[in-house]
Amino acid sequence: MRGKKEKKGFSRRKFVVRSAVGVGVLLGTTWVTSPLWRRALADKVDKADPIYLGNTKDPVMWFYISNEGRVTLHSPKVEMGQGALTGLVQIAADELGVPIEHMDVVHAESMSGNLDQFSTGGSTTVSGLWQPLRELAATMREMLRMEAAKQMQVSADTLKVDNGTVSGNGRTLTFGEIVAHVEEWTIPKDAPLRDISEYQYVGKPVPRVDLEDKVMGAPIFGMDASLPGMLYGAVVRPTKIGARFVDANTMETVLMPGVVKVVKEKDFVGVVAETQLQAEMAKRTIKVKWETDRNWQTRDIEEMILVGKGKPIVIQKQGNSKRLLRNASEVITAEYKSPIGAHAQIEPNGAVAEVREDYAKVILSTQVVRLTRNEVADRLGLKKDQVNIVPTYLGGGFGRRLHTPHAMQAAVMARVVGKPVKYFFDRQEEFQHDTFRPPTHHVLKAVLSEDGMIEAMEHNVSSGDVMFGSPIIPDILQSILGSDAGAWRGGMIQYGAIPHHRAISWRVKLPFATSWWRSLGLLANTFAIESFMDELALKAGKDPVQFRLDHIQDDVRGFRLKEVIKAAAEKAGFMDEVHNGRAMGFAASTDANTPVAHVAEVSVEGKQIKVHKVTCAIDPGLAVNPDQVRAQCEGCVIMGMSAAMFEKMEVVDGSLRPTMYGPYKMALMKHAPKEIDVVILENDDVPGAVGEPPLGPIGAAIANAVYRLTGKRLREMPLTLEG
Amino acid sequence: MRSITISNSILISAPILVLIVLYAFTFQEMEGHPAEKPQQEEMTPEEAFEVMMQVLTHKRCINCHPDGDRPLQGEDSHFHHLGVVRGPDGHGLPAYQCNSCHQDRNNNFSGVPGAPHWHLAPKSMAWEGLSPGEIAHSMTDPERNGGRTIEEVEHHLTADPLVMWAFEPGLDQEGKPREKPPVERGDYILAVKRWVASGAVIPE
Amino acid sequence: MKMKLEINGSQYEVDTDRNMPLLLVIRDMLDLKGTKYGCGRAACGSCTLLVDGEAVRSCSYPVSLAEGRQITTIEGLSENGQRHPVQQAWIEEIVPQCGYCQPGFMMATVALLNKIPDPTDEDIDQNILNVCRCGTYFRMRKAIHRAAELNKSNI
Repeated sequence: MRGKKEKKGFSRRKFVVRSAVGVGVLLGTTWVTSPLWRRALADKVDKADPIYLGNTKDPVMWFYISNEGRVTLHSPKVEMGQGALTGLVQIAADELGVPIEHMDVVHAESMSGNLDQFSTGGSTTVSGLWQPLRELAATMREMLRMEAAKQMQVSADTLKVDNGTVSGNGRTLTFGEIVAHVEEWTIPKDAPLRDISEYQYVGKPVPRVDLEDKVMGAPIFGMDASLPGMLYGAVVRPTKIGARFVDANTMETVLMPGVVKVVKEKDFVGVVAETQLQAEMAKRTIKVKWETDRNWQTRDIEEMILVGKGKPIVIQKQGNSKRLLRNASEVITAEYKSPIGAHAQIEPNGAVAEVREDYAKVILSTQVVRLTRNEVADRLGLKKDQVNIVPTYLGGGFGRRLHTPHAMQAAVMARVVGKPVKYFFDRQEEFQHDTFRPPTHHVLKAVLSEDGMIEAMEHNVSSGDVMFGSPIIPDILQSILGSDAGAWRGGMIQYGAIPHHRAISWRVKLPFATSWWRSLGLLANTFAIESFMDELALKAGKDPVQFRLDHIQDDVRGFRLKEVIKAAAEKAGFMDEVHNGRAMGFAASTDANTPVAHVAEVSVEGKQIKVHKVTCAIDPGLAVNPDQVRAQCEGCVIMGMSAAMFEKMEVVDGSLRPTMYGPYKMALMKHAPKEIDVVILENDDVPGAVGEPPLGPIGAAIANAVYRLTGKRLREMPLTLEG
Repeated sequence: MRSITISNSILISAPILVLIVLYAFTFQEMEGHPAEKPQQEEMTPEEAFEVMMQVLTHKRCINCHPDGDRPLQGEDSHFHHLGVVRGPDGHGLPAYQCNSCHQDRNNNFSGVPGAPHWHLAPKSMAWEGLSPGEIAHSMTDPERNGGRTIEEVEHHLTADPLVMWAFEPGLDQEGKPREKPPVERGDYILAVKRWVASGAVIPE
Repeated sequence: MKMKLEINGSQYEVDTDRNMPLLLVIRDMLDLKGTKYGCGRAACGSCTLLVDGEAVRSCSYPVSLAEGRQITTIEGLSENGQRHPVQQAWIEEIVPQCGYCQPGFMMATVALLNKIPDPTDEDIDQNILNVCRCGTYFRMRKAIHRAAELNKSNI
């Protein structure tokens, strides 16, 4: 049975956030936009601990215990592949005192009320829920203990909770037996947390909870959803940037086989048919008239994105690098670039929707359950609690599921035909209507002292928007910060021992959608900074590892970074020379408080860059599941390599291209390193970010190795020796 | 909610559609028999050779007669994406054959072209980068053409469904028609036959 | 048009367009959702299944061609509740992340091991041309070698 909910007062956590926003608004109009304040705020954002915004007080919303004693965790976070749900189950099982085999986890439907107020992303699921989930599970455990005491008519103090049972005084009740007889839960004010040393699952390489389903091909993804009597929809999208809908001729479409209805709305035209093939073929016959002002080309975008073109904000400043750069006899300068990147997640975006008079249900892969619900409710004119969003496992997230207008389109089509409708993007639409990783341009400058130390360094990064314009971050927060914290993620100079350093973020609004792409600005910013560090080390005639260590400040953050740098170099047996036709490239970054260092072992055959081995040292703090930390490092190395070496979207006569796997080159099996060696350090006692930080250093590590092999400094991604 | 359903307008639009369809059919028919078609008896062997070679040097042919181990594709004859290779017998690799994706007919839903026994011409028949004369030598040389007689060569060139595919290359992945050779199928066949009948002389 | 299909040893009769992609028939009409739709253009390999033991990208395979042939999907790999060696290897190596592309890779691996029972790294590189976005290639390679071992010990 599901326990009765007890209404509680306001959540302290929520109150804090609301107050913060309130204060922000108040201050926003006055001195809050001063450069000093904004820099301080940027620093806070960069070093912020992960938070969870949602209910953290009502265990009954989170845990369902069956009469058989199975515990189901209703996760407000979705599983995108990072193994986060497994981590949550480990934490919950340990704190509850239940064997992990007795636990299940499902995605919480929006109507369950267990809603994340924000999104799944930013590598914050395990780290952000670490404390709240332990508290919730501990509270649930105490509720079970108190209930058992009531049923046994003994004092709760005499009972212990273990192995899915509550026992004492020679009697044992299973969780199932307890909940079978519960009338009303008593929620204790405080529930003590177990000591981490008592945990059996946290810290162990427990197999993923979704492993079996994913290996057997279970229908767990949004694309696998179906409802009785379901029809298939398709929506026409423009192929050109900035195209505005003028009119659609659907004369031919209505006669196509299987077509049930053509749906013309103010902002889209779709068709609903009996089968997917029919919907697809019918869609191709819709002749839409679009209006465009301009035929954009790649060079227009490249021009716009140059440092100096957008709006600058200083995000980091120590000392007076400006003066030093002005007065220095020699300033070392280098420019770097990164291209437009596509998410290219394999499961297309789409949704299955069913709409009735006073109720709508939409099943889909989304990272923003709450936002999806609100958009659907708004569009249908329903109340929020009349809409149930059923989140599924995601066939890749990477930031692509933060924007889900397709849920609303599917719902509109379902309403028009009066039957459930399934609708998803075709692959060309996926590529052309992605919310892209923005292109970037970086200008780095430095002054070296006579003994080869960096005296001053500046990083200028110009990028398309990541957080600006995003529906998940309120505009007010953006205007307070002034800069785009997504675009400059990884863009601050992490070498605090450089006496004078500064980072400046230039904001550029591009004519197409740019947004979150796994690790946001980290990949490009680290590529630029860590390539430049390598150039400086070479210029100074120093070992690239020692050179980095020499410039890191002595504080906790610096200590953790130094440790991963040393660990990676040691594990890889780092050598700054070409050996057997291979060279090693080194790079490191700190992202969301997780430092990572990579050593890439590379050879060049003809014009082909081949990555043979990557050694990755990471310090995520407490590693809840070391195997999945490892898996994330391996995955980030390969996805990062793919982006750094192969991927690039172009703008050709107004269209974003290419539009298919293959033409959009990505890493395949043959490109993946044969060896990926992961070292996990745990220099913090709480879990930190894992799913994105290991993406940071890979581009620079490869480029630095290529330089040693060829003498050619690759300053533009994708890294290539051709042309 | 503002949703206009169009199905009611079928009645009004049907006659117009009939006209469109009729027109399309007429047009297709006409395409097959262009008025300015040269007559067979008017074609000299040299002209026949020239017409034939306009087809054989076209990308629809050359893409599967590559010089190397990688098939070509597309209007710009780029290497086949995703690292597809020839394999031991021109049918791809053991677990990744041409037929993993290419079936016996075009697939206008997926944009994947197809024809019976879709595969690469053997290396000895690499035409990429060759002049018309060199192509002609390669296809008439039994050492290189798989021991074919000139009659068998004529049959391959005029009746093999894989070769004939060049004239019905279908739609690409974005639903656009693939470019056809600059000569109509019928004229091409006549030209090949005329050239063979006149002794398959390869002009210098 | 009515067609008879043999999928995972079971007989099915479907009434649909001859050119309907086999993938859509299997997923939408027969409700076997293990074979995934990724690109619809035979480019990503998520829809890979076996036709008479050969790897086929079913999004680009008209259903009418499947008549009279044996189709195997991910659901048909395990027998009597016993995991197929490829699935067993995938479990042992904890390969999947998001998991969406995995059935296609596993089916391509089955086809590979049918032809080359003990593949080298190069065989794997050349024959496995599916796309994985999460970057699980590293573990997949280990799992493919492991599956080859399991196959040997099964004989």
